[in-house]
Amino acid sequence: MAAATTGKLMKPARLLIASVCLCGLAALLAVLASRVEPPPDKRAAFPRGEIAVGVDASFPPFAVDDGQSLTGLDIELAKAIAERIDLPLRFINISYYGLYDALISGEADLLISALRIDPSRMDDLRYTRHYFDNGLLVVSSVDAPKLNAESLAGHRVAFEIGSQAETELRKLEAESFELKLERFPYELPRYALDALRLGIADAAVVDATTLRSYQREYPSWRIERFHLTHDYFAIALSSSRRDAWRLVDDALATLIASGQLATIIDNWILSESALGSLL
Amino acid sequence: MSHKSREIPTRRQHLFAVAMRFRRRFSLTFALALILSLVLISRPPPRRIQLGEPQVVETTKPQVCVHTLLENEVDEWKIQRSLQLTREMGAATIVQFFPWAYFEPNPGQFNWEQTDLIVRHARNQGLRIIARLGLVPQWARPDGQTTLNHLPEAAFDDFAIAAARLAEQYADSIQHFIVWNEPNLSFEWGYRPVDPAAYVRLLRATYQSIKSANPQATVLAGALAPTNERRGSAAGLSDLEYLRDMYRFGASAYFDALAVHSYGLVYPPESEPAPHQLNFRRLELLRQIMIENDDEHKAVYVTETGWNDHPRWSYAVRPSRRLAYTVRAFEYAEANWPWLNQLCIWALRYPAATLSYPDNFTLISPEFELKPIYFAIQNYARDWDESATRWLPPPQAN
Repeated sequence: MAAATTGKLMKPARLLIASVCLCGLAALLAVLASRVEPPPDKRAAFPRGEIAVGVDASFPPFAVDDGQSLTGLDIELAKAIAERIDLPLRFINISYYGLYDALISGEADLLISALRIDPSRMDDLRYTRHYFDNGLLVVSSVDAPKLNAESLAGHRVAFEIGSQAETELRKLEAESFELKLERFPYELPRYALDALRLGIADAAVVDATTLRSYQREYPSWRIERFHLTHDYFAIALSSSRRDAWRLVDDALATLIASGQLATIIDNWILSESALGSLL
Repeated sequence: MSHKSREIPTRRQHLFAVAMRFRRRFSLTFALALILSLVLISRPPPRRIQLGEPQVVETTKPQVCVHTLLENEVDEWKIQRSLQLTREMGAATIVQFFPWAYFEPNPGQFNWEQTDLIVRHARNQGLRIIARLGLVPQWARPDGQTTLNHLPEAAFDDFAIAAARLAEQYADSIQHFIVWNEPNLSFEWGYRPVDPAAYVRLLRATYQSIKSANPQATVLAGALAPTNERRGSAAGLSDLEYLRDMYRFGASAYFDALAVHSYGLVYPPESEPAPHQLNFRRLELLRQIMIENDDEHKAVYVTETGWNDHPRWSYAVRPSRRLAYTVRAFEYAEANWPWLNQLCIWALRYPAATLSYPDNFTLISPEFELKPIYFAIQNYARDWDESATRWLPPPQAN
């Protein structure tokens, strides 16, 4: 009886507390919303009135100098970002080893050049979200039982000899005594994919760019794949250029959400979504 | 003003008060002990390193050698692990840099701590050490903007004395000394124009000094970098021209063997040598200059060699080629160069990744992940299965 009475008395009290909490939360959200920064001013973010993009145009299919113009995935991505920000674009074609110097010296506003995210540079640089994952993939035929890292044992696995793929396979074997592979080493990664496609191997381990480029040649070839490693490519900016970073990262987010990035990747290799549609 | 009369506590009250004080103190002590324990638990204990039984390198190819980079390695276990892996690979010799700036940080004040560590573990693994000397301490350099490679002529004798101290200190462990590194590159000569005459004076002073400390020591000259730079270039001077100049300035009397760097770049190891061609067999041209100067009785040590498989370096090759070229280079040297003493791969491992093309010269990652090239060299050196460097022919549809 006493407990029931207490329960009845507590119900309005609980409601009151809940209402107060909700009001508090709403007030907090209102305060936070009022503090959301307005979009950066593009003229202040890029005071030269243009976006100077550093690129190493010797790395197909990401960027190539054909003697007349620069072409490639990174070039198209840079153009799309400049269009989103609505500023003119200027490319600075420099060797891979001069890229970061160009950024730190301010010669380039940003770098779009198939750059791997480098944690040791985070003091000076800030990376956008990644736009490509060039990690290693284990590829198998869609007609065969689906493979994963554990079920590779006893299977014929094709790979490029001496490559990171071989290193990763050796690691897998070392980690599990039961995992013994039948190794099919080839001189080039595309031969590993040939071996899989022709039924000589049960699986192939290659990087994403190789697989996607290969799939363009054999669009009707249906495969399964899973990531063995990740290797993210992102756009790099100086850590002092926060507003520029926000504009570029927002633009990249929009390109990802709208599907435009996937279209750009499809133009040069094959996007994850396009690859998925072939499965 | 009111007075509160002071009451005398009963024995029970007194005991209670003492107990409370003890409890408070005990709680405080307990809390402190608990915090201390948590701190100690959360910190990893220092890794205990034991030398273990002295080891012997098992190899069928005594010319297999590797360049180690242990001078900046902080953790002793990493030094030990690096040298264990060197032995297990079948390399009997290492080239190791001993920076003068590290072991004589102040004039006459020697610090052998890091050198002791490296030498102790190398000996324990049964490895022979070739000591590379260089890197000038602050006190021996002129004031102002000079790099660590800037050795003024006034400090040549100081360098020679330091080299002799090292030779004396490790007379039972180190018998080979390379005097300087790549003096034909401006960068390695303190960003000054290269100066073969000055280098020969440095070589003379150091040779005499080392020999007085350890008459059995082998002094290696050069460690010349392969380059085509012309006379007057700001970057350096062709290794061929530089060696000719060295002989002209009387170097022959001041070295026992020549150290050479011989990189294959994008060419196979069998690629023909030519004066303007930078490839693995370039050292045959250097050997010819030695013969022309009546030094054919002296050995050659390749103290840096290798191929690189970075996907974005213009002087790199595919991983498959790196494997094959490296093993074929050892085979070529074994079959054709009886005057070659050592062929040392650059490099075993970096203490930290550079996240650039130099990482693709190494045999082991900073995390001690063994790369396929490590196994390829191991198979060659220990005369194991050769399949590590063999690949299948391109697949064909039936």
